[in-house]
This record gives sequence, C-alpha cells and structure tokens, in this order.
Amino acid sequence: MSTQNCTHSIAITGSGGSGAITVGNMLLQQAAKNSLYGFMRRSVGPQIRGGESAALLRLSDQPVFCPDDRFDLLIAFDWRNADRFALEIPLDSQSLIITDPASGEIPEVIQQSGAKIIEVPLKKMASAVSGGRINMVAVGLLTALLKMPAEVATDIISSTLVKKGEEAIKSSLDCFETGFNYELPGKLPCPQLMAAEPGIRWNISGNEAAGLGALQGGVRFVAAYPITPATEVLEWLSPRIEKIGGTLLQAEDELASINMAIGASFGGTVSMTSTSGPGLSLMSEGIGLAVASEIPLIVVNVTRGGPSTGIPTKSEQSDLNIALNGLHGDAPHLVLAPQNITDCIDTTRWAVQLAEALQTPAIVLTDQFQGQSRCITPVPESPDLAMARKVAQPEKDKVFERYAITESGISPMAIPGTADCSYTADGLEHKPSGQPSSIATDHHDQLDKRQRKLDLFEFGEKWADIHGDGQLAIITWGSSTAAVLEAAQRLKFTGQTVKVISIRLLAPAQVDSLEKELIGVNRLLVVEQSHSRQFYHYLRAHYTLPDKVNVFAEPGPLAITPGTITHAVQLLKGELS
Amino acid sequence: MIKPESIEDLETFLALAYLLEIESSDRYTELADNMQVHNDPEVEQLFRKLSEYSGKHASEIIEHAEGMVLPNVASWDFEWQSPEGPETTAFEFVEYQITPVKVLQLALHNEIRGHDFYAHIAEQSPSEEIRKLATEFTDEESEHVELLKNWIAEMEQNKGNTRDDMDPPNMPE
Amino acid sequence: MTNLAKAKSYKSDIKPIWCPGCGDFAVLSALTKAFAFLDLAKQDLAVISGIGCSSRLPAYFSSYGFHGIHGRALPIASGLKLARPELTVIASGGDGDGFSIGGNHFIHACRRNLDMTYIVMDNEVYGMTKGQASPTTQPDWASSKLTPHGTGVRPFQPAAIALASGASFIARAFSGDPNGMTKLIIAAIQHPGFSFIQVLSPCPTFRPEQKLWKHQVEAFPHEPTDDPVKAATRLYTDDGMSSGLIFQSNYPTWNKPEVAQTSVKQFEEEFVV
Repeated sequence: MSTQNCTHSIAITGSGGSGAITVGNMLLQQAAKNSLYGFMRRSVGPQIRGGESAALLRLSDQPVFCPDDRFDLLIAFDWRNADRFALEIPLDSQSLIITDPASGEIPEVIQQSGAKIIEVPLKKMASAVSGGRINMVAVGLLTALLKMPAEVATDIISSTLVKKGEEAIKSSLDCFETGFNYELPGKLPCPQLMAAEPGIRWNISGNEAAGLGALQGGVRFVAAYPITPATEVLEWLSPRIEKIGGTLLQAEDELASINMAIGASFGGTVSMTSTSGPGLSLMSEGIGLAVASEIPLIVVNVTRGGPSTGIPTKSEQSDLNIALNGLHGDAPHLVLAPQNITDCIDTTRWAVQLAEALQTPAIVLTDQFQGQSRCITPVPESPDLAMARKVAQPEKDKVFERYAITESGISPMAIPGTADCSYTADGLEHKPSGQPSSIATDHHDQLDKRQRKLDLFEFGEKWADIHGDGQLAIITWGSSTAAVLEAAQRLKFTGQTVKVISIRLLAPAQVDSLEKELIGVNRLLVVEQSHSRQFYHYLRAHYTLPDKVNVFAEPGPLAITPGTITHAVQLLKGELS
Repeated sequence: MIKPESIEDLETFLALAYLLEIESSDRYTELADNMQVHNDPEVEQLFRKLSEYSGKHASEIIEHAEGMVLPNVASWDFEWQSPEGPETTAFEFVEYQITPVKVLQLALHNEIRGHDFYAHIAEQSPSEEIRKLATEFTDEESEHVELLKNWIAEMEQNKGNTRDDMDPPNMPE
Repeated sequence: MTNLAKAKSYKSDIKPIWCPGCGDFAVLSALTKAFAFLDLAKQDLAVISGIGCSSRLPAYFSSYGFHGIHGRALPIASGLKLARPELTVIASGGDGDGFSIGGNHFIHACRRNLDMTYIVMDNEVYGMTKGQASPTTQPDWASSKLTPHGTGVRPFQPAAIALASGASFIARAFSGDPNGMTKLIIAAIQHPGFSFIQVLSPCPTFRPEQKLWKHQVEAFPHEPTDDPVKAATRLYTDDGMSSGLIFQSNYPTWNKPEVAQTSVKQFEEEFVV
C-alpha cells in the first residue's frame, strides 16, 4: 500500500426532501463501522424546506478533513437547480454519474464533464416497495458499489429509523436490498477501500466539536443568539450544558449575548458565546470591554462568506481581519484557529484555558467548512487541564487592587461573594484599584500590563503545527490546513518535499517561534481563503518573511482542494527553474 | 406613618434623634466631597465643619442613650414636614456656584427646622421624659441658630453673594 | 441601633463626579440606605451600569460593581444574575443608556423577569455628552445644538413600555423625595422578579428648569395594582410626573430548569459510532 490515501468521493444530490443527506450520513456511519474514515460536507440552497441539497462525501482509509479535487461518483435523485451546486461537484471523464432516466435530461453543465453515465430506475425500484423511498435504494446501490458489507448497512438503517416504527424500517430494508442487489452494467472505476486499523471511531462536526471543547475547557455559561452557520454550536450546547450545572440562555441580540457572557464571567463562571461575521461585528465593542476590564470569555466565530450578510451557508476565511483587528484602541486579545474538525475540540478547549489564565477574551475562528462538515475520526485524546483563572483571596492589612501592576501582567481577580475584595470592573481606563483615570501614567501602565500578560505567557508548542521540512514552505491557517497537508503528502509521494506551517495561535503573534521555523526557508507560499489576502497582510505586518513570497488566496464559497495547492506549488517551482 | 410627636418611648425618640443627626452629618460629608471634586475648597471645608458638628451631636445622643437598647428605625417610617429629616440638606439646594454664605444659610435653615422639630415634640409628646429631653435639644438648636446667624453676618461683611462661571460646561470645543 | 447608621459603609472612597444639585446624589444615598436597611452583605451585592453620568454609580459603592459600555447594563447584569443567582444585582443608568441605545435590552429584560432591580435616573437629557435630547425629552425642547428645532418626536414612555414588555414591578420615584425613593428601592429589591424604577432625577446643568419638578411631582394617585389593564389605563392618563409604585405582579421569573446531572465524558460517548 502506498503512503497516499486511497479515497473515494461521492456526491448525492436531490431536492424536496429526497433524503440525499440521510444517504450521506448512513454511508459515513458505515465507513466508521467498517474501520474506514470519512468526511462529509453539505451544500444546501437558501430555501428552508424543499430546497436542493447535496451530501458531499469522501471515504478513505486514512483520516480526511477536506474534499478531493474531483468526484468519483455523483448519484442524482433529480436535476432541479443542478446549476447551483455544479461548481461544487467537479466531475471528469473518469467520474461516474448514476441517474434515473425518469428524472429527465442531464443538464449541460453536468454532461460536459464527460463523465460516464449509468441509468438506474431508482424511482421504479422504490415504488415497487410499499412505502419505498429512493434514497434507501441508493444506500443499497452505493453499499454494494463500495463493496461494504450489507449487515453493517442494515444495522445502521434499523437503528437510524427506530423512531419511525417497524413499517418504515421494513420498507427501508426492502429498498436497501433492491438497491444492493441491483446489477450495475460493466466494470466500474470504484476501488475497494482497504480497512484501516480497527478501533472506535467518532462521527463529529466541527460545530459539535467546538461545543465539546468548550465544555471540556470548563465553560458553564453560554449566551446564544442564532446565526448561520454557528447555530449548531449553541444548539449542541443547550441541552447538555444544563446537565453539568451550567446555563445557556437565548439572548435578544448579539450585543446582549456578548455582554451577558461578560457579566457571567465577572461572576466567576467560565463563559462563552458563538456567532458568525455579522454577529462578531456587533460583538466587537463588548469584546473590547472584556479586554479593558480583563474579563475572560470565548467567542467561537464560525465564519461564512462576507461582507455583510454575504453567503451565510457557505465558507470563507474572511473574518480574520475583524478577529485580529476589529477592536478599537490597543486591545490585546487571543485569536485561535482550529486546523480541522477534530482540532475544533482541542483548540476551543485550549482557547478557554488561555482566556481564563490570561483574563482576556479569545476568539476561536472556525468556519462553515469546518463547522457544518462531519468527519469520522479516531477517538481524540483529552489531555489534562492545568490552567485556571487566578482568583483573589482577601489578604490581611492589604487593600485589594483588581488591576494591580504585576510582573506577569496578570492580576488576581476577585469573584463576587468574596469578602474584602470588592471592586468595580471598568471599561474606562483605570488605576490599579479600578478607579477611572485619564492620567497618562495610569493609561500607559494598564496598556503595558494588558500587553505584557500576553507577551510573557509561555504558549508552548501548540502555537502552530509544523510538518515536514524543506526550503519551500507553505504557511496557512485554520480550515485551509487540511488541503495544504494533503497537497504536501501528494508532493512527497512524487519526491518533492515542502514544509507546512499552520498557525493555530494567530494573536498574539508568535514572532520568534515563526521566524525560527522560517530559518532555511527561501520561498514561502501563503495559502488562505480570502479575496483580499488577509492572512498574507497579517504575516507581513508581524513577521520577517523570506524574500520570495507567493500567495494563493481564493475567496469562498468553493473549498480549497489539495490539487489546487499542488498546482500552485508546481507553478512556483516552474518559476524557480 | 408615625408622627414624631406621638413617639411614646425614650428609646425610639433617641434612635430617631440619632438617625437625624447621622443623616445630616452624612449629607454634609457628601456635599463636601462633591465640592472637593469641583475644586471649591472653601465651600468644601465649610461642609466638612458642618458635618463634624452634626456628628458631634450624634455622639452626644449616644451618650444620652447609654445603657439603653435603641430600636432599628428608618426615617421614612415617620411623617416629616420636609422630604427628609429636618436637619438634612437637600442635594438640590446646592449649586455649582454656591457661595459660602449660601451654605451657612442652608445650615441655618436646617437648624431652624431642627429647633422647630424638637420644640414641637417638647410641647406635644405624651412622655414627660421625652418632653424634658426635647426641651434640652430645643435649647441646643437655638444656640446653633444664633451661632450661624452671627457667622453669616460676619461673612456677609467680607464677601459678596454671587459668583460668575467663566467656563460654562457646554462651551463649544 | 438603627441599621441606617451603616448606610455610608456601602460607599467607596471614590467621590461622585456629578454636578452639585444633581438628582443622582439622592439615588446613591437612597441605595446605600436601602442596602443598610436590608442589611445586605457587601460582597453579595453587585451594581452594574452602562455609560453616562448616572452610570458612574457602581464605583461609588463598596460592593462589587461593573461599569460597562453604553446601553449594556442589563445584559451584563443579566449574565451575572444567571451565573450567580444568589447575588443581589442592581442595574442602573440613565434614560439615554436605558431607553435609546439599550432599549432592546430594556424590553427583553422586562420579559425575562430575572430577579433583579433596574434603576433608571431619568433627566430627559444626555449629560455626559453635554446636553443633547434623549428619548424622554419633550419634543419642543430646543436647547440642544444637535436638535435646534426640538426633536419633534413623542417622548418614550418608560413605565408603559415596561408594562407592555412584562415587567413585574414598575415604579416611579423622584430624587426630590429621597425617603419615598428609598422605600420604593427596598420594595423593588425585595420583589421576586424584574423590578423597574424610573427615577425623575433633575439635571441642574443642562435642564435647570427641572428644578421646578419639586413643585410638579405628586404622589401617583392610585394604589398599586396587579392588573395590567388597570395599570395601562392609569399610565395613559398620567402625565409622567407622579411617583409611587404603579404595578406589581407575580409573573413567573426565568428559571434554570431542573435536570438530571451527568458529566462531559457522557457527551463524548454520544459521538461514538
């Protein structure tokens, strides 16, 4: 077996509740049960109900966190609004399209790919079963095509539909069987995926992962205001946080949710909120208050296409600027970015811990691509937590000073209820006691202190993930990392080595650490998903970069794929020779 | 609502008298602090002095009450001729441009009210003990009234009674 | 010994920056008296505010406090109360902070009915920014450079809007009647739910004509009611210049649901395929 992944990408599309997403979910579960890995995105239209939807699935014998450059297979239940997702499902002459002749003519935009077309009478097969549905026929068809065992699939169908009753289960199993036993004509380009190491697998989305990381980190108060594509973070947390003694409240707007989180954290409870670009804009003033009043909290921002309402259901890395620089005044805070779906757990947990230890807000930048995609992953490790808020206790003959100037910049924080330590937290510049002050020295002392606590803190190895070595380095962040890493793996397979640096801790900038990693690098490729090269400008602002820097910056909503990056590297090498 | 003149027990009367002096003293301190913030040390000092006097009276009442257990009274349980206790200066009477003479006039106003309050009780109280004590307090208040009148006369000779604000708060920047 | 002798112990060493004669002094004084009367432990008390003259209030107490950002006193106070229900939480601020920039929070805090007290010092003007019209300013007040012809807009009706939004305790107080205000504050703190007090608090600097309020404010001419229809009728025929408890009801407060407890580890199990 080669070091390169053996993967298979499948798109399942349909409209009007045809159940395409259910098919994707069932295949993802089968992959897990069969010791495989998988990754699934959803592409949905703007309609609340009955819109076109696509499950974009990738199965693999190794963990995968990004889509491939192309799809091996498209199974379409109908062709309504196919143009909306055609660009997201690149097909070529090696691809296969399974469609029902009853669905009418295949749209030109799909046909021009030159993919091999196989007609299967899905509707007819489903209607032969009482209460039959085409999506269950498709599950059978795909299970057989992927050479996965029928028993695993039927178990999953039975347990998934348990709430729908015996009858529904029976008709679904009958449909599955019809599909499973259907004889597809000719030899089809579909490899059998080799099972990886058996073991327990998780099926998790980035939004769920961020919620879990938050709870692991100690979050016990959440103020929520719904916004696509962050709502699932809040919806996942809501029924759970109350089971561990916490509280989640739906606020009247984002201005309220950030300030409620501030109030709760002032009260000593580890607090968070979650939002997306428009909400983050509204929260900016509150985040600045948390900086000035030294209140720890986290904001999980699931980025969507911007500016303004932009493309709520699709991804982009374009909230980087506002996360880094959106606060007025000199407002040092933390910005972190998970590098894949499972890293949403670790990075969010770390963000909570850092915010608590440093008494400052942390923005966790995920995006729609990570947040709303699911993956099959080995069970993540949950390391012990060591960081906590430095809490004040009354000291004899000493007046408590909430904002005392300390060497580390971190001052003990009194929690309401503690006698002889009361103070008024203030967003006005203040003296060490908290008393408002406009005196230059007080301002300078507090600015220095708030900066110093971030500058002196030992963040350790987790500031970035470094892979490989070489004179050519690719530097990236957040959700672009998965495609970059896969590109690096492909390049390695062809004998080309690149170093990959993916920054997890974006603010405060870890200048020394990055510059150390850039020693020996003479060519840098910056990869990001934004139109205005936000990450590139951030790098230029903070770090000394090699002389030759190229930028691969593409806006959303199309995902960055490994092939586009290997292509960019080839172009760059071509220039070199 | 209780009419102060209908108080029957000495403890309640003393508790109330004490409360009125404390309230008066606290208020003078609040006003002194306020004038300090507005950089008017002369008026500030005047209010501090007045606060001190009221505080001294409060201590004297505590001396009177030696050996007694005073009840927990609140001034809003009593019916007053003024919004607060008779010797408490209303915040609204103190202006940014207040002159020292005006401050003393306010204090005089308070002392006269205090005098009338005790005089009324000295006349009306059902308790002989209270009537006796109230008479004593009335005499003390009369002394204060005289003192203040002299003070004001002295001050008026030296200073005018108005001040100009050369730097009004809503000057365009 | 009277509890009220301890009133000044609820004050911090920080001296108010308010102009002499400002109505807010009486609110500060009344609050300290209410705290003393109720014998509240300083460490279990938090005063929260937004921005504005009156929002400077928290720092003047020796309790815990939060001087936040413009308009957000209620969300900060709500977050604190939700996280720490055992604390006595007082939110405070002015008419601009509470009814204009923070208006949405006002409505929803009334609806949510958390057990806390909200005191708005209403002087019908923005003082901190040197005298602009606020939501409660009369339409013909033309003394601001910003609205030289007056606002021409109907004033905001705080008590009526609180009533319509579901507040369970609505009162109006007057800083010229400190004892009456203290009594209302005590009742508000004791009320189990969201208690709202609009304090008519004159601004001697930008609204010197408000000195006349002491001749205009009268007692609210009705006994308090728990009937919102009655209260609404009374509020619509009222000139906004009367003080007293207007409405008090036992609406349910927002409460954390009682659920069986588990551990984060259990949630991890849910992801196992």
